[in-house]
Amino acid sequence: MMICLVLFLGGCSPFMESHLTENNLIEEIAPVIFWSVNKGEEGKLKVSTLVPPLTDEKKRLNTLEVDLLKQGEKGFNLTYYREVKTGQLRMMLINEEVAKDGLLPVITTLLVDTDVSQRLYLVIVKGDFEEYMSKQIEKQENLDYFIYRMLKHYEDDKGEITVINLHQFKNYLYSPFLDPLLPVFKIEEDKFMYEGTAFFNDDKFVANVNGIEDNIVQLLATNNYLDLLPLPEQSVTLGHVQANVDTKLNDLSSISIKVKLNGSIDEYRGDKDIHDYSTIKEINKEAKVYLEKKTKEVLKQFQEWKVDPLHFGTLTLKPFEKKMDHEEWMKHWEDMEIDVEYELEFEPLTNIDTNDGDHLTH
Amino acid sequence: MKTFPLFNKSSAFDGIYLVFMLSRLQMLYYMLIMPTILVDPYMIWVIILVGAVSQLILIMISKWFSSEFAAKGYLGFVELFGERTVRILAFLGLGLILLKLSVHLLGYVEIVHQFIFFSMKPSWLIFFVLLISCYIASKGVENTIRYSVIAFLCTIWMLFLFIPFYTPPIAFLHDLYPLIPTEWSGQSWRGLLLIMASFSGAEYVLFLSPWFKRDKKTVKYFSVANGITIFEYVFLFIASLLFYGANYLSKSSYPLVNMVRYLQSPLFERIDMIVIAMFLIHFSFAIGLLLLLLYGGVRIAGGNQNQPTRIGFAACAIVVFITMIIMNELLWKDHSRQTKLIDLQMWIGAATYLLVPVVLLAALKRKGRT
Amino acid sequence: MFKKKGNDGNKSIENQPLKNNGTTITSDALKRHLANMDDAEFIERTTDKEQKIMFVYIRTLIDHERFNESIIQPLMHHSCDLIYECITTSKVSEINTMEEALSQLLQGSILINDPIRNQWWAVLLQNPLARGIETSETETILYGSKDSFSEVLEQNITMIRRRLPIAELKTEKFTVGSLSKSTVVLMYIDGLTNPEFIAIAREKIKQINYDMFLDSSQVATFMEEHHNSVFPQFQQTDRPDVCAYSLGLGKITILVGNTPFALNAPVTFFHLFQSPEDYINRWIVASFLRSLRYISFLLSLILIPMYVALTTHHYQMIPLQLLFVLLESRGKLPFTPFWESFLILGVMEIIKEASLRMPTKSSQTLGVIGGIVIGQAAVQAGFASQVLIVLMGISAIASFLVPNYLMTKANTLIQLMILILSSLLGIFGIVLGLIALLIHLNSLTSLKQPYLAPLTPFYWKDWMDLFIRGPLVNMKSRPEHLRPLKKWRYSQRR
Repeated sequence: MMICLVLFLGGCSPFMESHLTENNLIEEIAPVIFWSVNKGEEGKLKVSTLVPPLTDEKKRLNTLEVDLLKQGEKGFNLTYYREVKTGQLRMMLINEEVAKDGLLPVITTLLVDTDVSQRLYLVIVKGDFEEYMSKQIEKQENLDYFIYRMLKHYEDDKGEITVINLHQFKNYLYSPFLDPLLPVFKIEEDKFMYEGTAFFNDDKFVANVNGIEDNIVQLLATNNYLDLLPLPEQSVTLGHVQANVDTKLNDLSSISIKVKLNGSIDEYRGDKDIHDYSTIKEINKEAKVYLEKKTKEVLKQFQEWKVDPLHFGTLTLKPFEKKMDHEEWMKHWEDMEIDVEYELEFEPLTNIDTNDGDHLTH
Repeated sequence: MKTFPLFNKSSAFDGIYLVFMLSRLQMLYYMLIMPTILVDPYMIWVIILVGAVSQLILIMISKWFSSEFAAKGYLGFVELFGERTVRILAFLGLGLILLKLSVHLLGYVEIVHQFIFFSMKPSWLIFFVLLISCYIASKGVENTIRYSVIAFLCTIWMLFLFIPFYTPPIAFLHDLYPLIPTEWSGQSWRGLLLIMASFSGAEYVLFLSPWFKRDKKTVKYFSVANGITIFEYVFLFIASLLFYGANYLSKSSYPLVNMVRYLQSPLFERIDMIVIAMFLIHFSFAIGLLLLLLYGGVRIAGGNQNQPTRIGFAACAIVVFITMIIMNELLWKDHSRQTKLIDLQMWIGAATYLLVPVVLLAALKRKGRT
Repeated sequence: MFKKKGNDGNKSIENQPLKNNGTTITSDALKRHLANMDDAEFIERTTDKEQKIMFVYIRTLIDHERFNESIIQPLMHHSCDLIYECITTSKVSEINTMEEALSQLLQGSILINDPIRNQWWAVLLQNPLARGIETSETETILYGSKDSFSEVLEQNITMIRRRLPIAELKTEKFTVGSLSKSTVVLMYIDGLTNPEFIAIAREKIKQINYDMFLDSSQVATFMEEHHNSVFPQFQQTDRPDVCAYSLGLGKITILVGNTPFALNAPVTFFHLFQSPEDYINRWIVASFLRSLRYISFLLSLILIPMYVALTTHHYQMIPLQLLFVLLESRGKLPFTPFWESFLILGVMEIIKEASLRMPTKSSQTLGVIGGIVIGQAAVQAGFASQVLIVLMGISAIASFLVPNYLMTKANTLIQLMILILSSLLGIFGIVLGLIALLIHLNSLTSLKQPYLAPLTPFYWKDWMDLFIRGPLVNMKSRPEHLRPLKKWRYSQRR
């Protein structure tokens, strides 16, 4: 019986390891975890990835100039002894130049491939990522993996950077009221750093916001939470900021946004006495005015760019009414009155005598 | 020679098996493509409406279950219609069973092919799925009916996988708006037909009535099964609406599978592969049951009253296998023909679900009068 | 064919082969039959009353001391008219045919001839050769009763009877085996056990036609309906408390002479996972441990196939960190994952079997050498990856959690089947294998009762004692799938 078994297995093993299904033996493949797409010469695409992924072998960056994205995958296989597979693809780094031309072809390619996970992170890159990678790879071997871990961390634990995956982006792209947004990273010499959030009109990259404006976008739309919110003009840093946003659409011509912020004052570098309760009140007031102004500015900009990344369009949806289409909503959005109101409740973390304020009044 | 006890009856089954069988028969291929065709949120009401119609049909079927003809099985049908008609009807039924079998089998195989083994020949998958279904069927009707419990318990837990889609950040109530039909197109009619066809299945169960106890509670069991199914349809459809929004839903070919693909588990990355493979448990049950009905139908149509034989059953299975391969090559691979085939089965599934109980009841009434 | 002898007043315990043409017993005929038997002895004694009495016995089978005490001495020194009255032992029976005489002789009886009446008597004085009552080694538990069955049938029955001192506990005796003449005792509780089980068991025991039965499992082989299955269809146990519990639930117990293992039936697949200790532990703990057993059974079946499936087909499913480890450790191996696991699995089985056949002390050393040295060396020599060795260890240990040892052995075969399927079809293959297993289990029967009850057929009330072990106070009724005649476990007076 054993002999029969061995014969059967012997006879079948070529059949079971190659003919019946795809050969996915993990020692023979290179499951890459990121792809970077840049603009090449004469309308071509420059596709690069790091092989071998995740091993102690010497790594190298493979870059190819191709017309089609998948042509790149084929090209990699011809130049590298392991077959490049997309089943573990975790990140897609897209150069801003490519994004300006429209992301739809890239997204469609990724969506069609059933191997590619829907949780793939999309990132817009400013600068030459290939060059940065090939330089940095000497110092940091698993750089690709670290970038992935960073994105994954901030997807679960919100508060610092915008993280959008393929599924979310695609949903935004196809919905009439949700305009896509993506994180933007820039390359400065040998640093790869987060810059802000990018906005899209349809599938085309329009512009991005940085710093405090990005923080406001995160508070209002993507996360509703910030670990730290530095306000340099008020010499204060707010921490653990929790936003409670209440938006109301008054008849398609004006919108009122009420934001309730909770959190703590983590740092103060002004000249007033922070131990005084009235100072805190004052700081709250200043921050409120500042944030209201900034928010209005950001929203005005959105109207100019004709994007609605904060998804105000969904407010037009009613259970018993017909849906509006995208164009109609944009027409309304462009010249909508915006009314922003912040309500701040910040407390210093500890060591404050709350009775001080009362003494003053007495 | 050892006998091949395919159609033996040793004890009468409780009605609870009807719950398991019916609810699994209603959760086949059409359920997987349902959200793509329904698309609009207001179709939730249509599901519930069709569910109510299905309930009426089930009441009719349970009337049949409690009739004395049902207990007699084949002889009961002969008494009702006469042997000649029964044989003709059985012959017609063969075509219907084969069609239903092909849509569900080929549909499932395509899903496996697309998500797990893209470069594998579908014929191999058809072979393996049919093989396991034949194994179930070869254990006889009794064991197949009992297997429905396993099929039910091994697949019902998958509903829990969809709970995350009801929680933020995925779920927004506005994805379900508008809740009332603002327009009604041909696509909506197609959706209605699809729901009807997905609810079908009980018309095949009624041929198994001799194996069940004749009691008054049949309606109760059918209602429970129907209720579970309505809940499942609505639950899954709303989950898919929340996940995709109505706009992308029509573009996704297997929305429910893609949703599972999106889930993350701490142990494995792509649990959709496990889930798709697990679907085999109830697909194999349904296909096995249809195979048994097919073989029974062949014997009736051929007027064969002898003991069932292994050779006969094997021959039947081989014919089905060859038919499936041919259908896959000729019809399923071509997308437009595939759509036509799915539509045809939709029409026929919905029609048989409506007509079979009505005809039987009419025959019962006529018999009662004379 | 054997027939049970009616209770016609004598104290015989035997089922005799029924032969109507039995010849009358003479000492010459007996001598002829016992020719060339060194241990057969014929003695003649003369009593005080000048009666010549003949004793025929087989030396190795009888108890000499008791022979002297209770037969020779009373007969020699007392004056009784009848031999029968003089003998102080209770088991005295009258025998008439040659067949009876021989069968009694070979069971350890002493044949006594009464010359006056020309009547032969048989006195059962078996040699009490037996080991004592020891603790069970196959089903060890920490708490609970420690006694276990021995080879002596009567003693085994005693142990059960002491636990169930009720008149309804019936014992029916049969003799099977043309050479071994094994005694088979069918036990059940009258008025509680479903009569169908008793009838089926009785019928099946009567139909047994074979020569030798050295173990109860051989009797089981002849009673089961599915010979080509790896799953045991009778529960073999050497614990009297398990038997008593099974009897109390409405099952039957079959005891076989000269083996310490009793058979319980009908069993279900889930009985393989129940340990007597489940009913001793706190119910929450017991439920946890029981579910752990199911999980580890599943693990032991699919862990290695899963490894093969993931590394050959579904690299997409492996979490990134684990992929890192796997790529690293599989990079330089000479074999594909399937052959790697196939070989290591084979080695593992060899080690398991070897340590079982060795004396206890050396088997420990063997385990250490086998487990650590070979495993470590295999990794360093580049035969296998560390991940596989870890998984192999887990799956081997997990397979031992199943209390039924026969099942533990069958595990590997199932694992191998799923392994082949997984290398062919990946996850799909594993599920295919598991479905095939479920279908097989679904169609199995034990004593013509479904093997997967109470899952299929579905008895939801029995689920209280299935995957979990509910609190005993809540388990008010006996398992429904055994269809006992008395449903409630408490007396109705309450």
